[in-house]
Amino acid sequence: MRMSRVNERAFGCNVAHPVSPSDVAGTRSVAARCLPLATLLFCTAMLSANAQESAEPTQALRFEGYPNAPQASVVPRKENLFFYPCDQCHATMEPNPDIRPLNAMHDSALEHGRGRIWCTSCHDLENRNFLRTFLNELVDIDEAYVVCGGCHANRHKDWIFGAHGKRVANWQGDRTLYNCTHCHNPHSPAIKPRAPKAAPPVRAGLTLERGTVHKKSHVWDSEEEHAKQ
Amino acid sequence: MTNDDGNFNKARRHFLRGLGMTAAVAAQPAWGGETLQDAFADFFQKDYRRMSTEEIEAALDRIERKAKNRYDVEIDCQNTPPQPGVVYGYAINISRCKGYRDCVHACVKENNLGRDSQMQYIRVLQLDQGDFNLEHSDHYYDPETVPVEGKHYLPVQCMQCDDPPCVKACPVEATWMEPDGIVVVDYDWCIGCRYCMAACPYWARHFNWTVPEIPAEEMNTNTHYLGNRPRPRGVVEKCHFCIHRTRKGQQPACMEACPTGSRIFGNLLDPDSEIRYVLANKQVFRLKEDLGTEPKFWYFSD
Repeated sequence: MRMSRVNERAFGCNVAHPVSPSDVAGTRSVAARCLPLATLLFCTAMLSANAQESAEPTQALRFEGYPNAPQASVVPRKENLFFYPCDQCHATMEPNPDIRPLNAMHDSALEHGRGRIWCTSCHDLENRNFLRTFLNELVDIDEAYVVCGGCHANRHKDWIFGAHGKRVANWQGDRTLYNCTHCHNPHSPAIKPRAPKAAPPVRAGLTLERGTVHKKSHVWDSEEEHAKQ
Repeated sequence: MTNDDGNFNKARRHFLRGLGMTAAVAAQPAWGGETLQDAFADFFQKDYRRMSTEEIEAALDRIERKAKNRYDVEIDCQNTPPQPGVVYGYAINISRCKGYRDCVHACVKENNLGRDSQMQYIRVLQLDQGDFNLEHSDHYYDPETVPVEGKHYLPVQCMQCDDPPCVKACPVEATWMEPDGIVVVDYDWCIGCRYCMAACPYWARHFNWTVPEIPAEEMNTNTHYLGNRPRPRGVVEKCHFCIHRTRKGQQPACMEACPTGSRIFGNLLDPDSEIRYVLANKQVFRLKEDLGTEPKFWYFSD
C-alpha cells in the first residue's frame, strides 16, 4: 500500500509522526526528513563515499539531511485544517489533472508560482490526503516542509538551522519549529500587509513633527544661514 | 521653685506628648503602606551585588509585599542566577520585519511597563528604502497597513553592549553587566541622575517619570529582581532580554510575539546555536559599530 510507504519512508529515522501538540517534542529529526534537490545530490555522493569505507550498502542510500543540523520537531497542523481529510469530498470526485480555472470552495486562486505550478505539483492526484515530491514520494500534510524544500532549498536550509522561520517558546532545550505552512499560505505564500499596533505616545509637552530634518549648523555658517535654520 | 517645677512639668508633658505621637504615627501603616520595619530595611538595603543571599531573599519578600500593597497582586519575584557557559546574543532579520509593532506591545505587557507612561523599551524605526540615516527615521508611523511601499523597518532596543558606555557613566554603580552578558539595573540603587541615558548611543535607556499604572489583571506576576519587577518612579530602565524568561530557557517576549520570525536569540558560546548560524552564514552588521561598544545585537537581511 502506498500509505504505509509514508511511514516507512526512512530518511534515517523511523519514528512515527506526532499527531497531537503534546507529541510535538518528539525525537524525530527534521533535518533527516528534508529533501532539497540541490543538496540531495551532494550529500548522497558524500554518504556513498563514507559507506564504501565501512561496509557494503544493503539498501539505496538516501539524503540524510544537512551535516551538523540541529535536531528539531515540527508543530502538526492537520487538526487546524478545516477541509482535512481531503478525501471526504474528493473520494467521490474523479481525479482531473487538467489545468483549468478553479471554482472550488477553498483557495480557488493559486497565486503560488505565478502560473508556473499547478495543484498536482504539490498534491498527489490519487492519494488525496497527501502531498508529493518531485520524486513522486508521498508526503504527509504535516510534513509540508519536505515539499517546500524541493524548490526553496536555501530557505529550507535556513529554516532547519534557525535563520528562517520561527521556533516555539524556548531558545534552550527541545527544539520545535513551526511548519512553513503555519505562516505562509501555500496557495498564496506572500505575507499580506496588515495594520500595525498602536504607535507610541508622543512625550507629554511635545508635538509630533513629521518629516523635519534638522540640519547641522556650523560655527562657520553665515548669519543668514543660521537664520534660515 | 514652684515656677520652675511648673515649667519643667510643662516641658516634660510636651516631650512625652511628642514621643507618643511619634509612636502612634510609626504604628500606623504610613510610609506608603509599608510597615516601619520594611521602610527602614528598604532605606538600608545595599547594592544588589553586595547583598548576602539572606538579604536578597528578604529584599524579594519586601518587593512582593510592596506589589501587594500597590497593585493588590501576588507577584513572584525571583533571583534566577545566570546560567554558566551562556552569553546571550540577538539578531534581527530586517528584510523580514514588517513593522507590525507586536514586539513593542508584548514587551510593555511582559515587563510591567506603565500603560499610560511614555516608556517603551523597543522602538521600531521606519526608514526610506536605501536610507540608513537614523536621524531620518520615524518611530511614530501609523499607516493603515504596514509595510508601507518604499519603507523598511528597523527595531531598536538595548544592544547589551559588551563594553557598555552606560555602565562606565553610572556614578553609583547601579548598573553592570551580568556574566551572561545582560546589562542590568538595580532599580533600588539607581539615583536617577540619567547619566547613563546620555552615555547610551542607542537611546535604549528610559527614565521612569511616573509610578507605573498597571491594571491588576494585566500584571505579569513572573518577575525578576533585575528585570521586570514593579519599579519605583524616578529610576532608569531598559530592555534586559527578558532576564526572568531567558535565564529559564524561554524566549524573550518580543521574539515570541514576533509574527514574522525576524528575531533570533540564543547562546553565543554554543557553536550549534541558531544565533551562531546566523552570524556565520549571513551578512550581519551592528548599529554604530564604529563607537566600539561591541553590541551583542546584530541585524541581517537575506
